[in-house]
Amino acid sequence: MNATLTLTKLDVLRVLRNTRYLIFAIAMPAVLYIAIGNNTKETNGVEFKAYYMLAMATYGAFAGAMMNNSIRIATERKTGWTRQLRLTPLPGGGYVFSKIVTSLVTTVPSVLVVFALGGLVFDVHMDAWKWAVNAVALWLASMIFVSLAVAIGYRFDPETAQPAVMLVFFPMAILGGLWFPLEGWMDKIGKWFPTYQAHKLGTDIISSGTVSAGSIAIVLAWGAVFAALAVVSYRSAREQ
Amino acid sequence: MPRDTRSPDGAVVEFENVSKTFNSPKGPVHAVNGLTMAMQPGQTIAFLGPNGAGKSTALNMLLGLSRPDSGRVALFGGSASQAIKHGMVGAMLQSGGLMSEVTVKEQVELWAKLHPRPIPVSDALKRANIADLAERRVDKLSGGQQQRVQFAMAIIGDSPLIVLDEPTTGMDVENRQAFWATMRERALEGKTVLFATHYLEEADQFAERVIVINKGRLLADGSAAQIKAGAGAKRLSFRLPGVADEVLYRLPNLVHVERQADIVRLQTSDSDATLYALLDAGHRPADIEIQGLGLEQAFLAITAEDNNGADTVAMEGAR
Repeated sequence: MNATLTLTKLDVLRVLRNTRYLIFAIAMPAVLYIAIGNNTKETNGVEFKAYYMLAMATYGAFAGAMMNNSIRIATERKTGWTRQLRLTPLPGGGYVFSKIVTSLVTTVPSVLVVFALGGLVFDVHMDAWKWAVNAVALWLASMIFVSLAVAIGYRFDPETAQPAVMLVFFPMAILGGLWFPLEGWMDKIGKWFPTYQAHKLGTDIISSGTVSAGSIAIVLAWGAVFAALAVVSYRSAREQ
Repeated sequence: MPRDTRSPDGAVVEFENVSKTFNSPKGPVHAVNGLTMAMQPGQTIAFLGPNGAGKSTALNMLLGLSRPDSGRVALFGGSASQAIKHGMVGAMLQSGGLMSEVTVKEQVELWAKLHPRPIPVSDALKRANIADLAERRVDKLSGGQQQRVQFAMAIIGDSPLIVLDEPTTGMDVENRQAFWATMRERALEGKTVLFATHYLEEADQFAERVIVINKGRLLADGSAAQIKAGAGAKRLSFRLPGVADEVLYRLPNLVHVERQADIVRLQTSDSDATLYALLDAGHRPADIEIQGLGLEQAFLAITAEDNNGADTVAMEGAR
């Protein structure tokens, strides 16, 4: 366990030094929020500045969870890093454990930075418990993309992992209503996306203090599918 | 597993009738074919073979990265994964990657923490001649520098078996010497050092034992001197204007003939007999030189002979 934690610590440090992570998961949602978010018009039952804060926090957590591990795992399998680790006393699941924990840790700053901007700069108001529940709910919801990233990393090689991520990333971000509020047919489709429902969990908590079972069911259903994909990809890659 | 547990006969590495076959579009390829060998503690062993001889396949099985189809592979009398789990193996793979976004020191420190009995990180950096690179990012280093980082990782666990695949590729002369000096120290400490290399002069200089495989089978196993002697190989060269090819080909104990105008170079398994026959036939060659062959020529001779299906009588001494 000690060995695994050592690897995990270093893996976290590497992500925090990674430019792609800093741009997509930290800077981009923060900049977009500052540029667009300062608006008190009511959207989906809450002020736009709260709506967009949640959207950008979801987006940042989602981007961080998706982009890092998928390409990293694919690359490290290709370069022989995973082989190299197999020649050390590190336990068999230590590598993937480290990757998952790293994602769980590195999604936290994405949420916190945007929440801090909302609370401190744009004066978004809600009860303290709502801030806390929102942060935790978003963080938990982003976990489903941690599994998807593992699935992609073990299924694709570095060259194809990038397009594969983009193919999932843009529909999930746009149809999930994370970049702009959806209307009409887009909203009808978007409802079925986990990004949409993860975001809706947040707005529901602010507006009514409750969440709908439907939102949770949709997020969990996607989570189950992604987790199954992750297990299948991981197993088949390990057997090669 | 206590540190000194070895199989009853004390072998660090054992291959017993090991075979591994891959399927290719052209049919099955017998990468390793009934390979049997054993390595004892404290030996420095060069593992040689032409491309496609099955070296990598054998090393992968030795390290437990792939399983043999049949036969038995053992490290310290047990499985490779058990040996690795107990930090008994330090390995440096050709295909082994490094981390990105970490410094040399962080990378080597990680390896120290993954192994149960590491030597100090600063020692490993010094021995691998990368102390001055400690704060540099691993992914910004040259190939030869990265090779040295891998070298530090292979020795930091203080493991009784060190396996090196093409360890000096990309290193300059100075680093290559430092590398071998360190490996020699490890062997003196009683560690078993197994290395695969393309640089046959390194095998000649540093290995007390040379194992040659070809077509997945053991072809020769002995000291470099034994292998050279067994390859039968001496080079006999002289100047003899106008000599007919038939005369040369009729000479006894020939392995190879090469002509360049008046200069004739013969490779022969018995230079005395060959030379006497030439003299007996009435020829008077000038500038006679007889030279023992290096390991490289011996290696080429025995693998060529094996590939041509020629009988391997000349190799008997080395087996």
